Amino acid sequence: MKGKHLGEFEELVMLVVASLNNHAYAVTVQSEITNKADRKVNISAVHTALYRLEDKGYLASEMGGATATRGGKQKRMFRVTSAGFAALQSAKMLREKLWREIPRLSFGN
Amino acid sequence: MERLPPKWIMKILSWWIDPSILDEIQGDLLELFQMDYIEQGEAYATRRYLKNVLLSIRNYNLRRFRRSPSNNSLAMIGNYLKSTIRNISKNATYSILNILGLAIGIAACLFILQYVSYEKSYDRFHDAYEDIYRVRYKVYRDGELNIDCAAAVPRVGPFMKENLPEVVDFVRAYPMSGTISYNNTSFREKRMHIVDPSFLTIFSFPLIKGDPSTALSDPYSVIITEEISKKYFGNEDPIGKTLEFDGDDKLQVTGVARNVPDNSHLKFNFLISYETLNSRTRNDEGVSSSETSWGWYDFNTYVRLEPGTDPIVFDKKFADILYQERKEDFEKYNFKAEFPLQSIADIHLYSNLLQESEPEEQGDGRAVEFLSVIALFILIIAWINYVNLSTARSIDRSKEVGVRKTLGASRRQLIFQFFTEAFVLNFIALFLGVFIVLAGIRGFNILTDSRLSTAFLRDPQFWITLSAIFLLGTVLSGLYPALVLSSFRPVSVLKGKLTKGISNVFFRKALVVFQFVASVGLIAGTLIVYQQLNHLRKLDLGFDMSEMVVVNGPRVFGQDSLFPSTNESFKNQLKQLAFVESVTNGSNVPGDEIFWTNGIRRNSQSEDANKIIYNVGIDYNYFDTYDIDVVAGRSYNRSHQTDTGSVILNARAIEYLGFKSPEATIGDKVFFWNKPWTVIGVVDDYNQMTAKQAVSPLIFHLQPDNSGYYTIRLKENTNPSALNSLQSTYESFYPGNPFDYFFLDDFFNRQYNNDHTFSRVFTLFALFAIFVACLGLFGLSSFNVVKRGKEIGVRKVLGASVWKIVNLLSREFLMLLLLANLIAWPIIYWIMNNWLNTFASRISIGIWSFLIAGACVLVIAMGSVSLKIVQAARANPVDAIRDE
Repeated sequence: MKGKHLGEFEELVMLVVASLNNHAYAVTVQSEITNKADRKVNISAVHTALYRLEDKGYLASEMGGATATRGGKQKRMFRVTSAGFAALQSAKMLREKLWREIPRLSFGN
Repeated sequence: MERLPPKWIMKILSWWIDPSILDEIQGDLLELFQMDYIEQGEAYATRRYLKNVLLSIRNYNLRRFRRSPSNNSLAMIGNYLKSTIRNISKNATYSILNILGLAIGIAACLFILQYVSYEKSYDRFHDAYEDIYRVRYKVYRDGELNIDCAAAVPRVGPFMKENLPEVVDFVRAYPMSGTISYNNTSFREKRMHIVDPSFLTIFSFPLIKGDPSTALSDPYSVIITEEISKKYFGNEDPIGKTLEFDGDDKLQVTGVARNVPDNSHLKFNFLISYETLNSRTRNDEGVSSSETSWGWYDFNTYVRLEPGTDPIVFDKKFADILYQERKEDFEKYNFKAEFPLQSIADIHLYSNLLQESEPEEQGDGRAVEFLSVIALFILIIAWINYVNLSTARSIDRSKEVGVRKTLGASRRQLIFQFFTEAFVLNFIALFLGVFIVLAGIRGFNILTDSRLSTAFLRDPQFWITLSAIFLLGTVLSGLYPALVLSSFRPVSVLKGKLTKGISNVFFRKALVVFQFVASVGLIAGTLIVYQQLNHLRKLDLGFDMSEMVVVNGPRVFGQDSLFPSTNESFKNQLKQLAFVESVTNGSNVPGDEIFWTNGIRRNSQSEDANKIIYNVGIDYNYFDTYDIDVVAGRSYNRSHQTDTGSVILNARAIEYLGFKSPEATIGDKVFFWNKPWTVIGVVDDYNQMTAKQAVSPLIFHLQPDNSGYYTIRLKENTNPSALNSLQSTYESFYPGNPFDYFFLDDFFNRQYNNDHTFSRVFTLFALFAIFVACLGLFGLSSFNVVKRGKEIGVRKVLGASVWKIVNLLSREFLMLLLLANLIAWPIIYWIMNNWLNTFASRISIGIWSFLIAGACVLVIAMGSVSLKIVQAARANPVDAIRDE
């Protein structure tokens, strides 16, 4: 998780944050991952990823509204920064490049 | 929608989530809790919430670095350590006093604990020590305890085993001494025991060589220790070799045992098979008195019981069985015998009976307990010092506390800081204390004649004790300063006002008084112990023991019929020597416990009046040589042909047997050894054993040929080389016998060794306690002087003399000392009076011991106080007043 490299889970979290478009905070991110990716993750793992990504500069955050369901506590709303998009892009391009290089033969058809 | 999980779970999250993000994370978790609550109910929601909280510990480090570049609490501890070290070096005097006091307290405590645990370790090395008991022997006559002895009769062990299923096994040990020879080298040996084969199974005395199941089966077999093996056989294998005992018996070595540990109450060098004794005592009908006798009480008997047997219940059960067996004899001779059990682990410290195996080594359980109390006292004094000095310095520190609080330190942090200080000081002191113990252990051993080693460093028990002392010390000594100092209000202390002044002063004074009660008590106690020991030593024992050399009589002698004439010419030859004043021989010398006892009564009485009396066999010169006064009648005299049929008694025996007076006894008869004997003389009482015990009744028989001991009275100022001519004379008359001698005064006074050791230990620790208390007093007085510096300055400006100021400052301490004395005196009087009552001859406690103790403490205390006080009184007042 150090440096510019994106981990698999981090990439997933960033994609979810990007897709949630201004509604991304830990609880919504967790439920999106559960629903869309069919993965059970603990909220604390989501916290770790979100705050680390912000520390790396891929995410930015601001404090959002408090609700009674949260016991009157504010939310931290995350969004993807341009550096974050760039990192996602390069990760995607790296994969596509690698995909293209796989010889068709290896699929066995 | 105001449902919340339990408060305490919510609180947990704050333990590991950084405060800067705590709120938002708490919010997320609560939101999940709400959703779970609606969907699945409270229990499930709470469980999930708890799980989330617990898993969140992984986020401990999240955002933590943003506030400070390193871990915050570590930095705080670093800061506390730094300020502790600065405080220590800033107030070097206080710190040294503090640490030194603590270190000495810890060292003293460790010494005593080592000593105590060694004393308590006796006989616990036997695997089955909890189930091994010694059988005591008690005889009552007319309801009065007549004999209370560590050695029982030979029949009781087998009888117990035959009649009570609880007895797993028994062993008898019959102590002996004699001359052992091998290849023309002879030594006089003690610590020989004739024992049953079960000796090796009941006790844990392992054999290095030989088969434990057969080594003691045959008559005339002997097991020796490694040490003895080395002494007689060097590196040869001793098994199968033959040792000569007293010139005639041949003992075959069948085993080698490991040397007996120092902490065994029963010590042996030779173990001879019991069959040896049986074959000696067997009569024509094949019965051995060493198996059947109910009256020969020289056998240390031990039984091993089934685990968990209650010895008290056992004693009761056995008393009934014994009565059935012995009823006739009890009634016929009007006495009653008991054989109560005594746990083997209690023998060393809590037993002081007749015929103990190693009487000089017997410990004193009460003394050991007393020492443990002193150890605790010294430690408490040292801790009190710490508390005293740190609270005394609270004014110094109050500004620091004020500043820290103003800058945002919480009370908890301050408490933590002061505990850190206590921790560091205690740690340094602990280190120093262990160092003192290691460095001083040899000196301590020499001074107290003990056998402590540094082996305790490998003992986990020691480290546990040490940690306990350390933790307890840190908490106790740190608690009060931490609570008091942290409670100061920043506004008042920065203004220079102290809120808790009064209670503080009272507390400190109470502590000082306690310290001095302990000091005065220890000094007075030591003085009284010394006086009593001196009293015992100077007591007129009734005989003269100066310039007396005692030589052990020969045990190896070719032809018994020739002994009387050789004996006479040997004594005559000795008398020819220029430095010899007189010579006597006898079965015993004073200071040597008499094991030879018989029944006796006035001739006019019937058989049931028999009482036990101690025998001494003597020649014609015994009373002259020892300077024992004949109070009535006469001593044995060669001119009276009939003296072999007469006896001499001591004054105690006259009273004991119920004669009217010494004079009236002369010519009367006693019934003894199955016939009447005429009493021709009565001698003054003298102490056969120490003056601690009352004088025993003695009967003296004329036995000019007794080969027990020769006592030679030397002329005054005899050159030590005289012993050489004694030796050559002895060896020319008794070849094959080692020349063993001792000086009677040394021999007799060895009985007081334990008391002297104890008094030295006591003195040592009394000094420790006083030293520590004075450190505290010195610290306190110098603090007092600083505190009242301005007052002294003003007084001097207004015309007070130096003397007046010294007077003013010392009065407070004088009052405390006086109070301490008043409290200490009655306590010590009570304790020492109890102790003195254990002696047959005791001093009465004079007021002087207390006055001297009080004066000592006063002088030492004022000495340590006045240094600072005089300095302050003579200081230039300007310096004190100008300082704002």
